[in-house]
Amino acid sequence: MNFIQQLYRCNVINRSPLNFIKQFSALASNVENVNTKSINQDEELDKLYKIVELELRGNDPAVLRSFAKFATTAGQHLDVEAKSWSLRKPVHERYTVLKSVHIYKKHRVQYEFRTYFMFVQYKHLTGSTADTLLEYVERNLPEGIALKATKVELQKLPDHLVPPPKEDVKQIS
Amino acid sequence: MSLLAIKNAVQIFAFRNSQVQRCIHTTAICHKVQSGRYRVTPKKDFPLTYEMANPPHRIAHRKSWNSWNTSNLQGGPRPSETAIEDLFIRKFVTGTWHSLFVSEIIIKRQHNIIRIAGIIRQTLYPRKMYFLIGYTEELLSFWLQCPVKLELQTVTDKRDVIFKYI
Repeated sequence: MNFIQQLYRCNVINRSPLNFIKQFSALASNVENVNTKSINQDEELDKLYKIVELELRGNDPAVLRSFAKFATTAGQHLDVEAKSWSLRKPVHERYTVLKSVHIYKKHRVQYEFRTYFMFVQYKHLTGSTADTLLEYVERNLPEGIALKATKVELQKLPDHLVPPPKEDVKQIS
Repeated sequence: MSLLAIKNAVQIFAFRNSQVQRCIHTTAICHKVQSGRYRVTPKKDFPLTYEMANPPHRIAHRKSWNSWNTSNLQGGPRPSETAIEDLFIRKFVTGTWHSLFVSEIIIKRQHNIIRIAGIIRQTLYPRKMYFLIGYTEELLSFWLQCPVKLELQTVTDKRDVIFKYI
């Protein structure tokens, strides 16, 4: 796959979305053309995703918000509906420890770890677009941000599941 | 001999010789916070960088962290190993670039790559600096088993980094 080779060639993490995305959008269209040709040759069809949801966790809310904006803009450049929201309350993990090595129980120190949450959702993607977009977003993850991606796939009903014939319905009613 | 014992002894002594009445004042132990704070000198010539000037309760308000990783999030991987690796990296880098670092050493982890950043004084020849960069990167990546990249900035005069004098 040519675009993966191109990715490995540019080993410096490229933070200018426009140039990178323009390359990607051209490559994505090439990939889709290849896919339409391959359908005629009885190869595997591209998967269809209803939703691709990214859960972002971080210690710094400003970095989280800017990265969510980056991810939604990247999706919009690839003509994918994208939105972001932060619904879940931040989690404060607190430790209260003794300040002194020996005695002095009344004097303590408190430490705190804060985790902030953010969600980004892309709607109605093909498999190749989802792979490309996820690869791009993952490569540009800033330090201190954790990402969890969930994909909801749309599949055709298997052939052995047949709806009941109309005569049974009339009898019940 | 604790303070209370001394005080009791003095009180007993004072009771017996009622002409002399002296007490020792005892207060509760006053545990003031001392971490990350520097004492004001009378000559006002002690230099402080911006990081040193802001005490630790200013982190996330006026200051940010020195090591950036995902190990301390909810469900983050290997927090203790990451912390110890950071300690080792800081000691190693400070020792290799001896008395050259003017700022704190900042460690960022992205997808298995460790990036070490900081500000150095320009007292070395560029050739020596390239050698030290290669040496640090090679040895650290061998010990930590992941790619290590050094991102250093140089300053001609170390007084450019000083924020205020105390």
